[in-house]
Amino acid sequence: MSDWEPKIVSFLCTWCSYGAADLAGVSRMEYPANIRVVRIPCTGRMSPKFALAALREGADGVWVSG
Amino acid sequence: MITFNLNGKKVQGEEGQYILQVAEKYGVNIPTLCHHKALDPAAMCRICTVELFDGRRRRYVTACNYPIWEGMEVFTDTETVHQGRKLIVELLLARCPEVPVIKELADQYGIEEPRFMKEEDDCILCGLCTRMCEKMGNNAISLTGRGVDMKVTTPFEVQSDMCMACGACASVCPTGHISLAKIRESMTTRDTKLIASEYDMGLQGRKPVYVPYAQAVPNTPAIDRDVCIHFKTDGCKVCTAFCGVDAIDHSMQDETIELNVGSIILTPGFQPFDPSSFDNYNYAQHPNVITAMEFERILSASGPTEGHLVRMSDHKEPKKIAWFQCVGSRDMNKCDHSYCSSVCCMYAIKEAVIAKEHAEYDLDCTIFYMDMRTHGKDFERFYNSARDEHGVRFLRSRVHTIDPVPGTEDLEVRYVTEQGDAETETFDMIVLSVGLETSPETIELAGKLGIELTEGNFVKTSSFTPVATSREGIFVSGAFQGPRDIPQAVVDSSAAAASVGEMLSPARNTQTKEKEVVPEINVVGDRPRIGVFVCRCGINIAGVVNVPDVRDYAAALPYVEYVNDNLYSCSQDTQESMADIIKSKNLNRVVVAACTPKTHEPLFQETLINAGLNKYLFEMANIRNQDSWVHKNNPDLATDKAKDLVRMAVSKVALMQPLEEAELNVNQTAMVIGGGISGMTAARSLSGQGYETHLVERDAMLGGQALNLFKTAKGEDVQKALAVLTDDIQQNDKIHVHLNTTLTGVEGFVGNFKTTLSSNGDDQTVEHGIAVIATGAAGLQPDEYNYGKDERILTSLELDRRFMDKDPSLKEMDSAVFIQCVGSRQPDRPYCSRVCCTHSIDNALELKKMNPDMNIYVLYRDIRTYGEREYLYKKAREAGVIFMQYSVEQKPMVELKKGKIIVRTVDHVLGRPVEIEADLVTLASAIVPNREEQLAQFFKVSLNEDGLFVEKHAKLGPSEFATDGVFLCGLAHYPKPIEESIAQGQAAASRAVTLLAQETVHTSGTVAKTNPGICSSCGVCVSVCPYSAPSFTEGGPFAGKAEINSVLCKGCGLCVSSCRSGAIHLQGFDNDQIFSQIFALNEAV
Repeated sequence: MSDWEPKIVSFLCTWCSYGAADLAGVSRMEYPANIRVVRIPCTGRMSPKFALAALREGADGVWVSG
Repeated sequence: MITFNLNGKKVQGEEGQYILQVAEKYGVNIPTLCHHKALDPAAMCRICTVELFDGRRRRYVTACNYPIWEGMEVFTDTETVHQGRKLIVELLLARCPEVPVIKELADQYGIEEPRFMKEEDDCILCGLCTRMCEKMGNNAISLTGRGVDMKVTTPFEVQSDMCMACGACASVCPTGHISLAKIRESMTTRDTKLIASEYDMGLQGRKPVYVPYAQAVPNTPAIDRDVCIHFKTDGCKVCTAFCGVDAIDHSMQDETIELNVGSIILTPGFQPFDPSSFDNYNYAQHPNVITAMEFERILSASGPTEGHLVRMSDHKEPKKIAWFQCVGSRDMNKCDHSYCSSVCCMYAIKEAVIAKEHAEYDLDCTIFYMDMRTHGKDFERFYNSARDEHGVRFLRSRVHTIDPVPGTEDLEVRYVTEQGDAETETFDMIVLSVGLETSPETIELAGKLGIELTEGNFVKTSSFTPVATSREGIFVSGAFQGPRDIPQAVVDSSAAAASVGEMLSPARNTQTKEKEVVPEINVVGDRPRIGVFVCRCGINIAGVVNVPDVRDYAAALPYVEYVNDNLYSCSQDTQESMADIIKSKNLNRVVVAACTPKTHEPLFQETLINAGLNKYLFEMANIRNQDSWVHKNNPDLATDKAKDLVRMAVSKVALMQPLEEAELNVNQTAMVIGGGISGMTAARSLSGQGYETHLVERDAMLGGQALNLFKTAKGEDVQKALAVLTDDIQQNDKIHVHLNTTLTGVEGFVGNFKTTLSSNGDDQTVEHGIAVIATGAAGLQPDEYNYGKDERILTSLELDRRFMDKDPSLKEMDSAVFIQCVGSRQPDRPYCSRVCCTHSIDNALELKKMNPDMNIYVLYRDIRTYGEREYLYKKAREAGVIFMQYSVEQKPMVELKKGKIIVRTVDHVLGRPVEIEADLVTLASAIVPNREEQLAQFFKVSLNEDGLFVEKHAKLGPSEFATDGVFLCGLAHYPKPIEESIAQGQAAASRAVTLLAQETVHTSGTVAKTNPGICSSCGVCVSVCPYSAPSFTEGGPFAGKAEINSVLCKGCGLCVSSCRSGAIHLQGFDNDQIFSQIFALNEAV
């Protein structure tokens, strides 16, 4: 196993997944720190351009959840 | 203040502080094994030894208990200090070679093997336990013996009740020498059970200081006085040493607060039935027999197993799980609860489906039931898919006994199948679907308030005032009103609010206070001057993230003019100082790096408003919930992430513009469409709360389906009550009744609807602020069972009509058959019509009352007399009504032969065909919605595949639509009995009043705006918006271009992403703002 860690940019819907990410914290769950969250008002706001921009800026993965 | 030198740097501490405390403040790490913040230092482990230069000579002192003095010089990490510590660690390693914390230290100091003789101890004699015990106000353990014989033990090494089994010693022991097991075995004679966590149903323990559950509001810890040691010994108070803001006050007393109120709503809820007394189910003895509530916790991601499906005895993944229905419900033998708890069938199916989803293997889920009661909206579909798609097994059988399988943790059950075969099956885990019951405390409360209860200990109500208790001014909602699920509880809560609203409407707005408005500073065109406030959140953030580092990092970011860190940014004093700083530093954008915007954004926005800034010039960086709390073992990575999040927030906030919230007047008139019982109730409630109401009915008279009903399930005369209600409506000068009237056009939106009413060719336009849709449903005219071919074959409503007409022939009949689920629960109409089981049983009892010798048969699939309607089912069986079950594959046959009606079915017990000669066949026909497609279009709401209106939220918004200003009640929502229709009528009125009472509505600032100059008029935004906010501009220079109604816009951004011309902008989440966050990432990723 290599120790390579992908860098992940996530776009989370403020109503569900962003709230769930908050709840993960409240519940003191742990997950790797190599994720950066961009809060969006709804996954309906998500645009392919955002995913492409994140990849262009060096992200290895883009996660959209909502 | 005392100033001294620490590792060559000038530091400051308070008089009386020790070196260790000051070093900690400055982030200088000194190792220690025996130090505890809440205890006096003891210098037992010596590992905190540091070098001290007093001006003349160097010496070695223990940092934990050496007080600081002016001008001293301390070195914490010199070579000699290191050598000294290494020797101590080596000695400790020889004494305790297997203790993890010592092994870890040895590793740090590069010791592989101690040079000294190894022992097998696991106590390092740090004395934390004995000092902690003393701190607890107790002296149950101490260090005894001298030199090599020294050890921690109880007086005379005997087990006694002197040790209170508080576990404080075990909680501080760094090596695991003292554990709960050891306390139990050698120290105390008291009970050493964990304090059961109420939230986790006792599946795990909790502390005496605790937050009841993660989502608790307020999310503030409480001290459980019953178990807190301080309240037993006057000692402890350890928690106060850890609270950074001195918020803990052990001397607080219960207060009696007197409130002067005009009305009371009771919502005390229920308690889950405790099956401990059922010894045949082994619940109390066997860890793998659990209640459904416990299973909920096992399935929950925040539960004791973090959502991992395991059984409690050995944490193995179960392969086979069984649910037993009706534990503590429909049972007079063991628990005195003869009512049905209404919710258990559905939750058991849900749990089985979720369990199957959680298991990554083929999990066998079996539900043992008597009648499957999925009578809620879309519940029958869920039941069907659980069985057909998820493969949940449903067995109609009541299991008598659960036997543990010897030598395993498994459980054996024996049951009899529907075919009469005895079977034995082994399960890994059994879930008891426990019912709902009213707690003794609640019963006592009812007694104090003097309100009447039913035989099941629920509040006695009338079907026509479903949320009113027997005492005027006291209302009820939720499970205390009767066992019910969430949607019904939500409906009833709104209904109770409406009832109170009607009573107290003259007092509305008499106790409100005006808020002082701070004038807003215009910052448009100004260069951004950003203030960044980094929150420590006590130790919640600062304990993981290096807050000073993040703060200093933020200071160097573009446009940042001011940075600071706060202990608690949300505290009132910090809020005030933030407002002052914004004003004094002339800041025009603010970033708070703290917790989550979901809970705290409004609070900080309020601070901005108080400082004269537009509230949208704000952004939060979530460095607690999504950083420090989830990366607590990676402080460096967490700090890096915090910096990234702050940078992203700063680059976004720089692009934020002040946004306007438009104000819109709400027309204070209501319109109710449908003059049935729920529509009339809604109209009466609205008018009772002071609003002019138009009640539109397409027929020539008010009453709707209630006109066809004889009695309620509680035996009340429907026609009498209906006449009173109709009279009330007609006498009410605030209600304008429009009979023989339909809607032919609706324009406008929330607060400002303009509706065209047509009556016999005359059109009239009515302006109104809200609309309630109460268009009802109708009884199905069956096309099976020879309906229509013989007048003795009729529907339930037609039988009601005969009762109302006092038809004398009914008395003369020898035999009557009721056939259930006619048109319901079948592929073309898969929902359950909810009311028919109760209705038929009620009518069967009515016939029995007329002629006790009449033979009555009810042919059913599942009897669904939910809640206290179950008493009727019991009563009918006692009265001799015969219930015969049939399956949808083998429906009964109704034949007409030589003037006789012959009903053929298969007896479910004997498995033999049965032939009944009937004088009356009543078909419990389905309730069919009116499929109001045009109305749905008019108000931009939707219908589901069954033709029922789709509410805003199946659980939380049953009486309103996703489209603002439009509300829903009655049969148009879902089949329901009169009491539920009335409650929902009130509920719809209540929801509508929340809007009407505001008089004006404010739009959000974060809404979409079009740029008509580049709009191509393609219409995609108009078609994708679920809230009907975009439309084509009519007239003017931009005619035909899209525009967005900011009142209706929810700011989701769907149109923005869908716009192919880039003509739509979502304010606050615009492209450049989101891109700026992504671009700010490039240093991060």
